[in-house]
Amino acid sequence: MTENNDLWESYDDDIVRKFIFACLLFGAIAFLAGLLAALQMAYWPFNSNLPWITFGRLRPLHTNAAIFAFAGNAIFAGIYHSTQRLLKTRMFSDVLSNIHFWGWQLIILSAAVTLPLGYSHGKEYAELEWPIDIAITVVWVVFAVNFFGTIAIRKQRHLYVALWFYIATIITVAVLHIFNSIELPVSFMKSYPVYAGIQDALVQWWYGHNAVAFFLTTPFLGLMYYYLPKAANRPIYSYRLSIVHFWALIFLYIWAGPHHLLYSSLPEWAQTLGMVFSVMLWAPSWGGMINGLLTLRGSWDLLRTDPIIKFLVAGITFYGMATFEGPLLSIKSVNALAHFTDWIIGHVHGGALGWNGLLTFAIIYYLVPKLWRTELYSKKLATTHFWFAIFGILIYYVSMTSAGITQGLMWRAVDQQGRLVYPDFVETVLRIVPLYWFRVLGGTLFIVGFAIMLYNLFMTLKRAPRPVPELIGDIPKSAELGTGHRKLEGLATVFSVLAFFAILVGSVIEILPTLNLDKYLNPTLTVKPYTPLELAGRDIYVREGCYYCHSQQIRPMVSEVLRYGPPSTVEESMYDHPFQWGSKRTGPDIARVGKKYPDLWHYRHMMDPRSVTPKSIMPNYPWLAEDNTDFLILRKKLSVMRVLGVPYSDEELANADILAEKQAQEIAQKLAADGAPGGLEKKEIVALISYLQALGQKGSPKNETLGSVPQL
Amino acid sequence: MGHDENDGIQELDNPLPGWWLVTFYGTIIFAFFYWIHYTFTNAPDLQGELKLAMDELERVRKNSGGDAGGGGSGGALPAESEEQLAALFAPGDRADQGKVVFAAKCASCHGPEGAGLVGPNLTDKFWIHGKGTRKDILAVISGGVKDKGMPAWSEMLSKEELYSSAAFVFSIKGKNLPGKPPEGNEVP
Repeated sequence: MTENNDLWESYDDDIVRKFIFACLLFGAIAFLAGLLAALQMAYWPFNSNLPWITFGRLRPLHTNAAIFAFAGNAIFAGIYHSTQRLLKTRMFSDVLSNIHFWGWQLIILSAAVTLPLGYSHGKEYAELEWPIDIAITVVWVVFAVNFFGTIAIRKQRHLYVALWFYIATIITVAVLHIFNSIELPVSFMKSYPVYAGIQDALVQWWYGHNAVAFFLTTPFLGLMYYYLPKAANRPIYSYRLSIVHFWALIFLYIWAGPHHLLYSSLPEWAQTLGMVFSVMLWAPSWGGMINGLLTLRGSWDLLRTDPIIKFLVAGITFYGMATFEGPLLSIKSVNALAHFTDWIIGHVHGGALGWNGLLTFAIIYYLVPKLWRTELYSKKLATTHFWFAIFGILIYYVSMTSAGITQGLMWRAVDQQGRLVYPDFVETVLRIVPLYWFRVLGGTLFIVGFAIMLYNLFMTLKRAPRPVPELIGDIPKSAELGTGHRKLEGLATVFSVLAFFAILVGSVIEILPTLNLDKYLNPTLTVKPYTPLELAGRDIYVREGCYYCHSQQIRPMVSEVLRYGPPSTVEESMYDHPFQWGSKRTGPDIARVGKKYPDLWHYRHMMDPRSVTPKSIMPNYPWLAEDNTDFLILRKKLSVMRVLGVPYSDEELANADILAEKQAQEIAQKLAADGAPGGLEKKEIVALISYLQALGQKGSPKNETLGSVPQL
Repeated sequence: MGHDENDGIQELDNPLPGWWLVTFYGTIIFAFFYWIHYTFTNAPDLQGELKLAMDELERVRKNSGGDAGGGGSGGALPAESEEQLAALFAPGDRADQGKVVFAAKCASCHGPEGAGLVGPNLTDKFWIHGKGTRKDILAVISGGVKDKGMPAWSEMLSKEELYSSAAFVFSIKGKNLPGKPPEGNEVP
């Protein structure tokens, strides 16, 4: 009994220490995976002809590790540490804390195994397959129960602004994850999302953009509101500002997703909303930056002497840069140039490395000496880390922005005769490869800084005493809460419900209309579903992550029409579960690549892209000619697709495997006759070729306005 | 100041900076009018804007005349007769210039020597489209053969480059290099 009482008199810092270790471990993995991916871009042989680390499978490993493992564990460490102190109580349940910790790490490990094996939804930042999706939901609910339980037993009645941000984070991430992950399983580790085409695109980017908002922004703003005044020992600049920018931020952010889909076949009203809400986000985002930077008014001298303040100030400044650039990139005419280029890659790394990375480092440098009751081994090494990180990020950012603008301008260049100046896509890639090497340099500097930090922390812990629990101590007498917003800050349930409604408004208004897809379809345009073999090929396309480098969405612009053909239509992706529009063009768009090249061209291209496109930077896919297609599962796949609304006949359903084998036979015979090796009919390459040849061939985009455009 | 402390953190209550408020209101006003303009007025939509741009392109192509390959005309080249083409192909460096174009654009499918790879062998006596005349060769290069994966190069090459590459292909005809097996009809 007494032991139990003792426990309740102290904070649970063991859990915080665990999350810090996990953050550092997975941070290392995320950064190294990113470095390897950067090397693959600069020099394709780094793909090593190995399926597991070829770019299309490595990229989701890198992004998931960076977002959910590195940043995720950092958030949890900070939330568990600060929440207990702000509420003057131990966490609601140590058991739930530990289930949360170990559950989250298991999810990360399962991601680290399944992503290289190619198990993927084909949706960015939501690649993990359905059993893991369920696990994420369960663990997140455990976290939520533990967090709101702690609020329920709090000794400090008033909820400080950091907690508002935590509340918004926990509620919104749950909503986003659950609604974006609604899918029908085909087998263990394979499923199709219920949404298709423009629906799937809209839901995915509602999720994808708000993963940035509510996983990488709001929790870190909450952490800033706790650790900045703590580290600088200064009062927060403006309580009023924190109220205004909090509510404005969470209300506006949720609408902004469609700015990822400008100039796509998404209905234009949604594109317009995505853009204008992104523009309106500029000031609320900067509200956080102002409240951070102006809190340091009068103590700028700390910036010279204290490495933690250096990291905090630089991190907040990068936040300001990224949240100015975000609205800028959402303006349609800017987006027309930047979208699909490396500028976006530069933008997200300015945010991820600059804001999330530097803030995390600051918090860890602050927390480790506190939690272990010791001094940091070396302030000087921390400062060295800071400069490595800063130069690394700047080199990364400048090289990628230059690469993006260069390539964007080359894509759109049309000469005085009305022809593309750079009709060969590969020419625009080769121009920026030197900048890919600069990115490698930037990333390397950042990682060297991180290694210095690990050494510094290792030496700190080596001489640290055994940690003892920190007692909660005297609980301050709560003053009367007052009126208005001040009163609301004491009413946790009402506050949470209001936050929930704030994020619901934009979600409902944007997503609901597109759930009834028929409204946007032109009834005179008929689109044929994929044949069973093409569907098998499509799943291989998703597995290999082709969409990370090839878009399937031709924008209504002259240069795109000249290069790729008529703009993509709503109908063309209406049976696409998931949509594969992509967000980056490291290679050309392939929405209309079908029938553009002979089968043999594709065979040779997949085996060695350089045999048909000299100097291409695409990886080789030799295993596709060795591994067999799973024909038997096709009946199941077609039946799931039919449940989702794809019009397959009973006959197709019953004979899916036979139809597929027949089509494969025909393609393989033709390939062999043209000079490819014989006996490919059961191989995955044939299924993939059938899918590639079907792209743009399933419907007829009758577009009167383009009657005079010559087709390439 | 004056709020009760949260774990020792104090909060000032400075007013919202004026420039910040102006920015915030400004973006809201901009957003409102932009939204009205593009959602409820006759402002051109994306398809409308594309149409305007394509009309402009058409005009540019018509006016430029001269060097534009078959651009805009759907690859109706060549207008010349076989004899006129013979004269045009004749200059000594014509085929040499074509060889450079061939190496850059054609070799990936037809092989560096034109002996065939993905595309057919161009050095044998067999022709799939036409009979291997200068006019046939030029027509296929310009207009392409969509079903077979041969692009319409008039969209990507200048007239000069089209004629040079055709001259080069004509010059390697009959060299009978070992390569891809014959396809099409034999033309004696």
